[in-house]
Amino acid sequence: MTTGELEFEGLRRKFGTVTALDGLTFAVPAGQVFGFLGPNGAGKTTAMRAVFGVASLDAGEIRWRGNPVTEQDRHKFGYMPEERGLYPSMKLLEQIEYFAMLHDMPAVAARKAARRWLSRLGLGEREDARVDALSHGNQQRAQLAVALVHDPELLVLDEPFAGLDPGGVDDMSAILAERARAGVTVLFSSHQLDLVEDICEAVAIIHHGRLVVSGAVADLQRGERPRLAVRVAGDPDGNWAAQVPAQLGEIETMRAGTVLFALAGGADSQRILDIARAAGTVEHFSFEARRLSEVFRQATGASVGQAEAEHAAAARAAGAPGTGGRTAAGMTR
Amino acid sequence: MNQRSLRMTWLVARRELLQRGRTRIFAISTIILLLAVALGVALPAILSRGGKPERVGVVGGNPSTLGVVVQEAGRLAGVKVTVVPEPDVATAEAALRSGDVGAVLVNGVEVLVKQVPIGGASSAGGTLPGALAQLAGLSRLFEKVPAAAAAAANGIALPVHGLIAPSGTLANRLTGLFTVVLVWVMISIYGSQIALGIGEEKSSRVVEVLLASVRPAQLLTGKVLGIGLLALAQAAAMVVAFVVAGFAAGSSLVHGAATGIVLIGGVFVVVGYAFYCTAFAAAGSLVSRQSDVNSTIMPVQLPLIIAYALSYTVVYANGANAFYHVLGFLPPTAPIAMPVLYATGDVPLWQVVVSALLCAAATVWMARIAARIYSRSILRTGARVPLKQVLRRDLAGA
Repeated sequence: MTTGELEFEGLRRKFGTVTALDGLTFAVPAGQVFGFLGPNGAGKTTAMRAVFGVASLDAGEIRWRGNPVTEQDRHKFGYMPEERGLYPSMKLLEQIEYFAMLHDMPAVAARKAARRWLSRLGLGEREDARVDALSHGNQQRAQLAVALVHDPELLVLDEPFAGLDPGGVDDMSAILAERARAGVTVLFSSHQLDLVEDICEAVAIIHHGRLVVSGAVADLQRGERPRLAVRVAGDPDGNWAAQVPAQLGEIETMRAGTVLFALAGGADSQRILDIARAAGTVEHFSFEARRLSEVFRQATGASVGQAEAEHAAAARAAGAPGTGGRTAAGMTR
Repeated sequence: MNQRSLRMTWLVARRELLQRGRTRIFAISTIILLLAVALGVALPAILSRGGKPERVGVVGGNPSTLGVVVQEAGRLAGVKVTVVPEPDVATAEAALRSGDVGAVLVNGVEVLVKQVPIGGASSAGGTLPGALAQLAGLSRLFEKVPAAAAAAANGIALPVHGLIAPSGTLANRLTGLFTVVLVWVMISIYGSQIALGIGEEKSSRVVEVLLASVRPAQLLTGKVLGIGLLALAQAAAMVVAFVVAGFAAGSSLVHGAATGIVLIGGVFVVVGYAFYCTAFAAAGSLVSRQSDVNSTIMPVQLPLIIAYALSYTVVYANGANAFYHVLGFLPPTAPIAMPVLYATGDVPLWQVVVSALLCAAATVWMARIAARIYSRSILRTGARVPLKQVLRRDLAGA
């Protein structure tokens, strides 16, 4: 995957001694929900801000449909920053309308679109309410409405699932999927890799400002060495597996009598089945998807949690409360 | 600026106008300011017009001669007088106690008042009893000389000519003071609104959503433009109220010179706002909590406060000192100092124009620095951004 609607090419950015982006390169295809994943502090927010020119880059380029992103392009983008923010004392409808107009919509169309999205998001009754009178969940919806109101061609959402209850997660993912089906390029970030693996079709996972791995979620879960889970009745220790030759696959781990193989590239799984059947009754035989957090651990040698702790320590050592991305408000979550 | 840029700037300005213009606080503050202006202009005129002529009792002596003396004393003291003949001293004293008369001339040799003011009453300057005492004394002296009464009737005061033309009249000075109060109020009220508004955008984090489609310069310009238009509308309404109330009440404040002072005040409201608005914006962009705004705008306001405080000494002195003249030409203090200097007659009009042009030119310079500080600090969160750091990054060309 080298080309896409939105391309990040060699992004670099340092904040003092902290490196936020270190040659980040990946591409986002159109019409998919694309997850931009990595532990907190990996550089996701800086990269997303750079799309809007809100963060500056030391080096690298962001391209939209093959050309460097221009101000004109940005008016066709929708953005939901990690640190949500709306005018607290402004009425909801006026606020959404205002942001629509800032994205080149004429006044009448802006009002219509604001009404449409507010009722779509279940806020139709509250259009005259001040934003600070809304509940936290409704403020999140209002923030989403700001990102969506002008029918953007690209949606960039920074941690859209943070702070949502399960129902909110479902609503949000339904809207993202629906927008992607409508041909919109949808890029969202998350540090909760396993939470969002069912929501996106493709991902880029980053760490220390560099790409770790990217591709279709299904491919990543399968990996170059697909995982095969086999259980033979009456063999709780999986002794039968010793008979499987190494060129077919290696034993990854054991789980309650089930042997997990990492299948060698191009190996025929049916030969393992044959060996298992020879050893006894096969109770379970299936390919298993790896969790994205496991993919991360395999690629980096550290768990997401370890990586986040490491980043927090580095940021403290650099004497900065954040690397330009984190703030007091952002920390509360 | 291309068309898109103009549209973005206008959208931001429009939001400020709509959101602020229809708040109750704007309506109330406008009404209060207009009432204050109207009352300030009309009240003295109405009160002085309603004032009754001063009544002066006369006992004994030649009534016609003493009548002339009393009238002349009234003219010197600048009040209308009515002569009230009293039959004897006792009746006159009773009338004095009851307040029916303000002073009594007894036999042309003595002036009685209810209470002698601190500092004595026999000086000719200002007070009616003082003028009366002096004139009656002269008149008595001249009684031995033929034609003394005629001399008194024709007025005995000699004409006074000054080598230097009189500096601004008291009315002009008061108009000047009134004008700089308004200049000061307008710049500081609307300046702090800018700083608070920007502090709000920053602390609520809405600024990141805004900056995804609007450039910092557009956001800044739109903001100061929108709030500036509101300020201008309010200032214009106050000038109109000044003129209307002044004419309606027949105030001495409304004549050529005073109106000129008010108009120059209006010019300096605009120029001063232009100069300060971006500085207030930069100050607002340094905070991350709205409650910190007051402490960051204090240094911005300081030159205005100094000029404002000193303006009282200038208004009540004859001739401003050299220091205040300098303040009149320095862009940070000119919006306050220049209208005062003009009102007191210390500077000719062309110097006012030069000062206004200097201030306007400095506005460009101020806007550049402020816009740089603003765009550097508007997205930085956490602790308050130290100005030094923003400027240092500036020098490093970051």
